[in-house]
Amino acid sequence: MNYLFILRMIKSSIGRKQIMAVSGILLSFFMLIHLAENLLLFKGEEWYNGWVNILLSNPLTIYLEIGLLILFLLHITTGVWVRIEDWVNSRKRKYENINWQGGRTLGSATMLYTAIALLIYLGFHMLHFRFTDHSMGFYQMVTSAFRSKLFVTIYIAGAVALALHLSHGFQSAFQTLGINHKKYNFYIKILSYAVGISMVAFAAISIYFLLGLDIKPEAEYNNVIETIIE
Amino acid sequence: MENKKFNITLRVWKQKSEDSKGRFETYNVEGIIPEMSFLEMLDVLNEKLIKEGKEPVYVESDCREGICGCCGFVINGDVHGPDEHSTVCQLHMRRFKEGDVVTIEPFRAKAFPLIRDLVIDRGALDKIITAGGYISVNVGSAPDANTIPVDKNTAEKAMDYATCIGCGACVAACPNSAAMLFTGAKISHLASLPQGHPERTKRVLNMIKIMDSLGFGNCSNEYECEAVCPKEIKISAIAKMNREFLKANFLSEEDPDLPPVFHQSTVDVPEDE
Ligand code: SF4
Ligand code: FES
Repeated sequence: MNYLFILRMIKSSIGRKQIMAVSGILLSFFMLIHLAENLLLFKGEEWYNGWVNILLSNPLTIYLEIGLLILFLLHITTGVWVRIEDWVNSRKRKYENINWQGGRTLGSATMLYTAIALLIYLGFHMLHFRFTDHSMGFYQMVTSAFRSKLFVTIYIAGAVALALHLSHGFQSAFQTLGINHKKYNFYIKILSYAVGISMVAFAAISIYFLLGLDIKPEAEYNNVIETIIE
Repeated sequence: MENKKFNITLRVWKQKSEDSKGRFETYNVEGIIPEMSFLEMLDVLNEKLIKEGKEPVYVESDCREGICGCCGFVINGDVHGPDEHSTVCQLHMRRFKEGDVVTIEPFRAKAFPLIRDLVIDRGALDKIITAGGYISVNVGSAPDANTIPVDKNTAEKAMDYATCIGCGACVAACPNSAAMLFTGAKISHLASLPQGHPERTKRVLNMIKIMDSLGFGNCSNEYECEAVCPKEIKISAIAKMNREFLKANFLSEEDPDLPPVFHQSTVDVPEDE
């Protein structure tokens, strides 16, 4: 049995990054699906709980969840490993002054910080929604959380960190896998920003419920917004 | 001519060796002619310092025509100076004016130990080349031209990758001090040409292995390297190296880490009586 190629994937700097890239792209797809699920909140309790029931009654869901856990673990371990290595190999003396020449973006320069923020957020998210009492019903659980200003603030911070992380991470993953050609680099970039920006929709959903837009009749929208702003 | 002369203040990084403490030293350089190159300006300063019995500024250069990769430091925060895609030796003093304060620092990276002042040891790049940045050919008289046909586009592309001069600017500009652009350029150059194919698998795996062992960082796709490269090597070189790695690791029949397989004859050979 030949396992050298697996070993090499783990031992080589490029191999590790490729593991991070593949798991990252798959996790991005998961985030898009997750976003689509959350958009069902707009359709009301019946739709949302209906979808949750479909998931819960499906015997495959547990395997998908395990797969997801593996993806997260792969992405996080390779990410932490790469960063530790960069830190070990970092310059002993910093430059007094170095001008970044335009390659870096807000997303790329903050990858480490958004990654840490997302890791903390992930823990919080799991405790809050996954490993908690679901007896009140999923729709109620989510929307009642969204009525809290503190929760929504944390939630928005998580969504922004995710948007920044994906705006660089998504396109970066393609480059790491060797997918780079001047014919389609532009499209990959656009796609990456689109995926990143769409994560802001998570924040929009939480604000919608914070403002109580789901319960107030339309005429009262303005009043509600005014009271919140005050 | 005379009235065009100007003076600048130079802040230079002085450091005796890798392990000693460095600091910035300030010099006033007078009577600079705009036509001077930056290195000539340093020559003028050094001659003056030597005449005064002081220690000159250590700086490395060789060709002074942008092709050897010896020169190179950071000027006012710009790797290889303010001109885009150019080496330090191609920078001229007309880019500066009276009263400018110019700060110069060496290329900084863990893999490039400092020798003195602005001079660094880029030997790590040579080690990467030794690990596979070559092709093996029989010695003897030069082979006839075009015995192995290479189409023009491929030849041009390989030539673009081959123009890397090993200056190390990509490492110096990288936030992680990675040598991916350099290594990618060399691997892409040889992988593009039929002459590079026999050792293709071994080359990419070995060069990356050695690169990983020399204290360079990982690539986080910040694209700072291609912005400073004097030879305009593009990050497509890194993508190609990544592809070559995947190909070598997953598709290749040979594996340099496995013991060699010797062909076994299937014909029954009668044993000696
Ligand atoms: S890739 Fe460019 S910046 Fe890097 S060593 Fe070669 S010529 Fe210098
Ligand atoms: S001295 Fe040769 S490239 Fe500058």
